[in-house]
Amino acid sequence: MLRNTLISSNSLIAKNQSQLLKVCSVTATNNQKRDQKTMPVVDRANPEKLAASAFGWKQSNWADWTVARLDDLLNWGRKGSIWPLTFGLACCAVEMMHIAAPRYDMDRYGVVFRASPRQADCIIVAGTVTNKMAPALRKVFDQMPEPRWVISMGSCANGGGYYHYSYSVVRGCDRIIPVDIYVPGCPPTAEALMYGVLQLQKKVKRMRTLQMWYRK
Amino acid sequence: MRIRDLAIYFGFDKLQRLYQDVKIHGGLLMAIQKFRRFDDLKSGRLIGQDKYGNKYYENLYYFFGRSRWVEYPEYKNCEMDGSQVAPEWSGWLSYRTDAPPYADPIKIYTKYKWMLDHSENLSGTKHAYMPYSTTKPKIEAWVPKKDD
Repeated sequence: MLRNTLISSNSLIAKNQSQLLKVCSVTATNNQKRDQKTMPVVDRANPEKLAASAFGWKQSNWADWTVARLDDLLNWGRKGSIWPLTFGLACCAVEMMHIAAPRYDMDRYGVVFRASPRQADCIIVAGTVTNKMAPALRKVFDQMPEPRWVISMGSCANGGGYYHYSYSVVRGCDRIIPVDIYVPGCPPTAEALMYGVLQLQKKVKRMRTLQMWYRK
Repeated sequence: MRIRDLAIYFGFDKLQRLYQDVKIHGGLLMAIQKFRRFDDLKSGRLIGQDKYGNKYYENLYYFFGRSRWVEYPEYKNCEMDGSQVAPEWSGWLSYRTDAPPYADPIKIYTKYKWMLDHSENLSGTKHAYMPYSTTKPKIEAWVPKKDD
């Protein structure tokens, strides 16, 4: 946004100054608005209504509409049964065990731990990825069938964390595998990981598998 | 053994409870609508409502941990998220206090004037925060060529 302001003011130098000032002030107020973005207080009389589908109900033709509905169905099935592969490397793994336990009970969201990467949809990287573990992590990820997702759990998996300057640690598992959800914390609470799984569900809900296929 | 005890023994009182829950929600269609959004059909005492339109309920019939819940407003449809709960209600909802915010004597949530307004998690929406760097990157990414 700052860069935009600079460019627009540069291009406008030739024009008269009052106009320039006006443009600058407009962009400045826009900045302020964007930076201070908060959740709007609801206008109870006519709130913005969201559709049940992530793609909305207004497609331009019936073929698009049908494909979008099929995508909805596919995503509903996928998000309701995310089977993660446990990749517990450190103390984060203990919190990962907690979400399987009765208090947080991940099974109610259809999340069931699998021991084999070939049966898993999602991998939860919980803990410090060391240089020695890196090839193993990549191999395990490569064995997972598509579509596959990655949840990076804890500071160490997100970006090295406490061991960022160690000689033997990968500075974040996103240097090896593409990460979808980063769960911050050291370690994150089981609640935070649960929230991460729910965020992943939201991401799966927006997937346009069939719509992309149809476009091609 | 009375008939009532016999019904409880065979679990028929649960059916009666289901019937009552459906009745409280205003008929079968409304109950199905509710179930579609929340995957649950619970009825309880309305404790309060926040400025976003979330409604907070309590029913001590349910076990601790399930006895307090929030019903997100209808305009959100299925786009529900834990961060939509107003901060003053968060303590009550997670059992940190028993008093709702309007009647809390110890005020576990106090709104100071220097506090920003609450915002829900905007990740994945068009309002999501996208940082960018204006400095030159320290490392150059390797772009493999065919003759390498």
